[in-house]
Amino acid sequence: MVKEECKALLDALNKVTACYRHMVLTIGGTSDSQNLREELKKTRQKAQELAVANRNKLTTVLKDKTVSKEDKAEFERLWVIFSTCLEILEIDMRRALELGHEFPLNVPKKHLIQTGMSGGTSGVAARAMSVQNMKYEAEHNIDVVDLKDLENEINQVGEMMYEMEMKVNVPQWTVEAKQDPGAELKSTISVGASSIGMISVEENKSFCDISKVLAGIIFAAVLIIAIVLAVCVVKLS
Amino acid sequence: MLPDRRVEALMMEMQNPDTGIKTQTQRVLITNIPHAVAGNDIFQWILQRLQITEEEALHLGDLFVKYGYIYPLLDPKNLTLKTDGSLYRFQTPYFWPAQSWPADDTDYAIYLAKKNIKRKGILEEYEKEHYNMLNQKINYKWDFVIMQAKEQYKAGKERKKADRYALDCQERAYWLVNRTPPGMLDVLEYGLDRVTDPNEKKKKTIAVYRREIMYYQQAIMKTRVKSSVSLEGLVKYSEQFLSNDPILSGCLPSNPWITDDPDFWDLNAKLVEVPTRTRVERWAFNFNELIRDPKGRQNFQLFLRKEFSGENLSFWEACEDLKYGDQSKVKEKAEEIYKLFLAPGARRWINIDGTTMGITVKGLQHPHRYVLDAAQTHIYMLMKKDSYGRYLKSPVYKEMLAKAVVPQETVKKSSTFLFGRRQLRSSPSPIILRQQEEEAKAREAAATVDITQVMSKLDRRSQLKKEPPK
Repeated sequence: MVKEECKALLDALNKVTACYRHMVLTIGGTSDSQNLREELKKTRQKAQELAVANRNKLTTVLKDKTVSKEDKAEFERLWVIFSTCLEILEIDMRRALELGHEFPLNVPKKHLIQTGMSGGTSGVAARAMSVQNMKYEAEHNIDVVDLKDLENEINQVGEMMYEMEMKVNVPQWTVEAKQDPGAELKSTISVGASSIGMISVEENKSFCDISKVLAGIIFAAVLIIAIVLAVCVVKLS
Repeated sequence: MLPDRRVEALMMEMQNPDTGIKTQTQRVLITNIPHAVAGNDIFQWILQRLQITEEEALHLGDLFVKYGYIYPLLDPKNLTLKTDGSLYRFQTPYFWPAQSWPADDTDYAIYLAKKNIKRKGILEEYEKEHYNMLNQKINYKWDFVIMQAKEQYKAGKERKKADRYALDCQERAYWLVNRTPPGMLDVLEYGLDRVTDPNEKKKKTIAVYRREIMYYQQAIMKTRVKSSVSLEGLVKYSEQFLSNDPILSGCLPSNPWITDDPDFWDLNAKLVEVPTRTRVERWAFNFNELIRDPKGRQNFQLFLRKEFSGENLSFWEACEDLKYGDQSKVKEKAEEIYKLFLAPGARRWINIDGTTMGITVKGLQHPHRYVLDAAQTHIYMLMKKDSYGRYLKSPVYKEMLAKAVVPQETVKKSSTFLFGRRQLRSSPSPIILRQQEEEAKAREAAATVDITQVMSKLDRRSQLKKEPPK
């Protein structure tokens, strides 16, 4: 089904954009390294491929006049998600370019900002590229070499967005979101173990509430059983 | 004002392992997070590097924290630099403030959604409000916001625990600066952005250079006044107007803001019966003062009528009305003015030279607000050079000067109003004031018609007298 394919492609693009954002956040910090720059390059190229694939699929569907009204509304919704994703990707790419210029890695005088990060981003990159482990094969001055390519790719993305605006006429504000506010809470499960040091104590409180309710129920059950037993004893004796 | 690029250079210098600031490790429960710096160390480093006074260094360091280059670890909402051992950390360059990268609503929505996931729905009050407001504002993007929030959250799990904690702190610090909670000082609230971003690194292409060359060429050709001349003019103006300035020389009867006594405003109303002496004296300073004061214009008009040049001032007033009136009535007003003042044989014909008349008539074919500017300037200069001098020596002006009132100074009432509140009456409604002005104008128009009709009647009578004796 076309809808499922579109959704899958969009999810993939969304995932790659999120990973790219994580990586751009680390540029200039102590986790920055040649590997990071290579990861950025690969992620960005993957994102572009996905973006082109998405665009082709969605434009063919939206230009198709035989699509039903509900389907069309659904595709317009997907289109809005796609264009917003692409906007965020473009902004991140521009920032990556600027930060890349500001923080060249091999210059001894320019020191990286000590942001408190010590680990690498290879896990994030692996997630983006959908591989188990990342392989690093680039040269040692990729941080400088890559910037030219990055500029060209930014221009490409810009042109693609412009073409999209011109070809497909979807007014963004007419799309209604399917998810209600707070929808993100329903599907994600336990968080507790992963966050350390309790940034706030509030997390504890909600946890306690649930356990309190459980304790109350158990207590009530025990009490009822005790009363029933006592009545039986009284009756029998 | 967003900070300069040089702050970033300083930030990078602070990282130097030899000459920069020494870092410590922050201990959070069981993990150690590196790269924490003490507030005192930051302060000392700034002091020593920039060679400034202690006060300045403290202020500068404080600004660094307020703008989000450095964030405090233990008390994140208190964005000040404390010169003791309290710990801070450097913000990642992505989150540094810059005019070209303003904090985006979509990003904020994603951040709040992520926080929602992490804290299982427990957000602070102001964050909840923002969340709901954003949901309404960017509702069409909401699906994307939620998708992206979930993905960013999951991607974050791929990082080491300590890094995740540091990332959380960074993001929180960034949004505390860019979306300040109520009660905190919003450093970034400085009004509108400048049109040009001074920190933007523009690529110098040929077009940019061409524009620069054009700009500098025009700048060279600009006529300039010597500063000695302009300063002299400024000094003369200040000396002349010093006695009239209500703040510098005190005002009579009393400053309403201090004594709560609005007499000053009543006595200096636009078209008051008897103006104050200082006001009338000001009309003698220069012609502009006279013509900009409605009472002065009224008095001047009286004088001009006696000289039979009242139509000049009326024409000037009509032009002002055209310039500052409704756009929809521009055409209509321009035609009326032409019929009344400029057409050959008009009722109140004004005397302007041939070239100006030619320009004006041509312009009136396509009337706009400023079509009568040339004629208005001509008449203005005529009145200024000719009638103004005579006016100042005339009995009309001298009478007004004699009649002018010098109000008594009122003493500031001591606060005996412990139990009673002074009845403050409101000033008259602008609608009523406007109506009064219109009535006054109409009355004046009626009055002038009389004179010209009288003149024309006299003319006709003399003509008739000439004829019968034939």
